[in-house]
Amino acid sequence: MKTLAELMAIKEATQQKMTVREDTGDDATRIIVGMATCGIAAGARPVLNAFVDEVAKRNLKGVTVSQTGCIGMCQYEPIVEVIQPGKEKVTYVKMTAEKVAKVVNDHIVNGNPVAEYTVSAIK
Amino acid sequence: MYRSHVLVCGGTGCTSSNSQAIIEALETQIAEKGLSEEIKVIRTGCFGLCALGPIMIVYPEGSFYSQVQVEDIPEIVEEHLLKGRIVTRLLYDETVTETEVKSLNDTKFYAKQERVALRNCGVIDPENIDEYIAYDGYQALAKCLTEYKPEDVINVL
Repeated sequence: MKTLAELMAIKEATQQKMTVREDTGDDATRIIVGMATCGIAAGARPVLNAFVDEVAKRNLKGVTVSQTGCIGMCQYEPIVEVIQPGKEKVTYVKMTAEKVAKVVNDHIVNGNPVAEYTVSAIK
Repeated sequence: MYRSHVLVCGGTGCTSSNSQAIIEALETQIAEKGLSEEIKVIRTGCFGLCALGPIMIVYPEGSFYSQVQVEDIPEIVEEHLLKGRIVTRLLYDETVTETEVKSLNDTKFYAKQERVALRNCGVIDPENIDEYIAYDGYQALAKCLTEYKPEDVINVL
């Protein structure tokens, strides 16, 4: 290593891998995937991993992806909740790994929840 | 990209209370559940709370488990790491109130401390130089070598 830029490159690349350890506090956007037995059976694991990958790929700061237990609507699993400070919680149902990119792009990045995937779109 | 990091204390105190066996049990059971690509286990330096060892902290939740035994590992892996249900009976009791889980830095033991030289202890993997660099390691040296003249360094000192 010869330059400051090389040191900074290592710093930034490693920081990106360590964001999960940051104390994001109350300002964080939380993506919560239902991972009870019903969620897992309906395919919540690939959804969870797709969110982790998408958040990492876009290098989003202050976004955490975690799991929770059964929300109580097992027939609509995999269920994902997105909680942002000062906004109403948005609940997505019957999620798939394919839908994840759109949720991250439209909702997390641009602030427009994807209405057609939410619980309120169920007839 | 790992969705969760499990930091297990590898300091002298926790090692003597068997944290090495905990790390091995975690790694075996994480592999058995097929979670090796999702969850990373890291052996850290001393957290500073040796009396409550073995200690482990699970991110992103920041759950601080204390006095963990090898027998507790299946429950932590199955409930917390797989299903996302924090094993509250093993949390450091000062971090748990009826309504919320407090940050470690707000507990009596840590709130009084301002760690300087040891601030990364228990936070980074001490055997991974990149993690040290990510937490500002070698920044002062780099500045001295690339930006400052010898006189500047002497003036700072």
